[in-house]
Amino acid sequence: MSDRLTHAEWSDAVEDGDLLGQECPDCGKVQGTPKAACPDCGSRGLETVELPSEGTVYTETTIHVPPAPIEERGYQVVVVQLGDARVMGRLTDGEVDIGDSVSVSGFVEDHEGYVAPTFAAE
Amino acid sequence: MARAAVVGAGMTKFGVHDTPLQELFGRAALDAFDDAGITPDDVDAFYFGNAMGGQTENDTHLGPKLASHVGMAGIPVQRYEDACATSSNAFKNAVEAVEAGVHDVALVGGVERCTPETGKDTPEMTRIFASASHRQYEQPTGLTFPGVFALFTQRHMHEHGTTEEQLAHVAVKNHGNGSLNPNAHFGKQTTVEEALDAPKIADPFRLMDCCPFSDGASAVVIVSDDYADSFDAPVDVSGIGHATDVVPIGDKDQPHVTQAARDAAAQAYEQADTTADAMDFAEVHDCFTGAEILASEALGLVAEGEGGPAAAEGRTARDGDIPINPSGGLKAKGHPIGATGTAQIVELTEHLRGDAGERQLDGVEQGVAHNLGGDAATTVVTVMEARQ
Repeated sequence: MSDRLTHAEWSDAVEDGDLLGQECPDCGKVQGTPKAACPDCGSRGLETVELPSEGTVYTETTIHVPPAPIEERGYQVVVVQLGDARVMGRLTDGEVDIGDSVSVSGFVEDHEGYVAPTFAAE
Repeated sequence: MARAAVVGAGMTKFGVHDTPLQELFGRAALDAFDDAGITPDDVDAFYFGNAMGGQTENDTHLGPKLASHVGMAGIPVQRYEDACATSSNAFKNAVEAVEAGVHDVALVGGVERCTPETGKDTPEMTRIFASASHRQYEQPTGLTFPGVFALFTQRHMHEHGTTEEQLAHVAVKNHGNGSLNPNAHFGKQTTVEEALDAPKIADPFRLMDCCPFSDGASAVVIVSDDYADSFDAPVDVSGIGHATDVVPIGDKDQPHVTQAARDAAAQAYEQADTTADAMDFAEVHDCFTGAEILASEALGLVAEGEGGPAAAEGRTARDGDIPINPSGGLKAKGHPIGATGTAQIVELTEHLRGDAGERQLDGVEQGVAHNLGGDAATTVVTVMEARQ
């Protein structure tokens, strides 16, 4: 039984306000979403790490035409640099630019129960 | 030495088609047969691409249906699905099989319907397109496909100072090119002002930065290098590269550099024993204006960070030093997902034969096609040249 991070564990952590990632002991890559092996070097020895809850916006966009069944418009999707990893999430309110400081503010859940972290401007 | 040669090419007009998939594909396939001067009996295998027929039309296991419709039942048929790189992946595999001596003659093509003729409206099609982003780590944010390329483009703007006006120049150029292409979805020219006034879709993209939902089909007949000389006007496939990048976007090292395109281009140029500088023109995957700018840099056609200025200065226009998307590109020609890859091969073939009608570029001998799938994590790059 592997103890490598799973989607279920990652999601549970997101619901608790924590972001989990993986660090490769062989090449040092840190990533923000779970995999069975390091995408850079293939190592299976990935260690689960807790990512910082504060970071900076790496890139962002505001979605004006949403996919069904979302009806809300004008929400911002951000990719946030948290230490050595990056994580995609939704901005809860306000508007941020690349380089702005943000912190984890909670989570959103889609129509099938999948979750994503949310961030708020610092 | 060529890896294979294209000896027949056909495509439908891209746009809105109230036609079942087999009939739509049949038009492109029969045109490709006629262009090559062959019958279905001459074809050894069919490599087929369709990305979303299961979701959009409740229509799966399309390979044998299409083969039966065009008189090819009995031969091996395989379907490829790789988001927007679907039929270029079919093409790559067909070229490899022909080069390996498995087949002498293969039909390669794709078909897709994405307009409301499928019964799906814009929010539903936006959801289906977004299925090419990561289900667990991207879709829950409400990300759309314009959003994916908006994230890349915003970072490119941050790194290189690319502007919304430069993006608009890509749209203006490609609409202008599309107006010369009878198969293009949009035949109308536009202006920078119109593009910058259009409603926002996903920052920095406005409506005119985005390709349309289109229906259409494309097909090519390919043959082995040795067999090619027995056909009229063969066009050689001299290199094909295919690479993937890390998914999801958050885990990519530098999302805006589209590493898979760089890797695929390096492979294709090396196989063809050529360089980016030797390309006379390019068809690139401009699903959004920003995507064309990223592609022009990833393929080495312009310097790093120069994609925006190159478009604004006319370097990528028909009369520029490296014309990009003379067909109008996905932006104006249209983007029926599974048909897009082989449609780029059709465009290269017609131009290299000197057979592209009103949009023909002067004196082109070598060209490159770039077709990406998903968040650019799949990219296929093809180099073709006129057979001497």
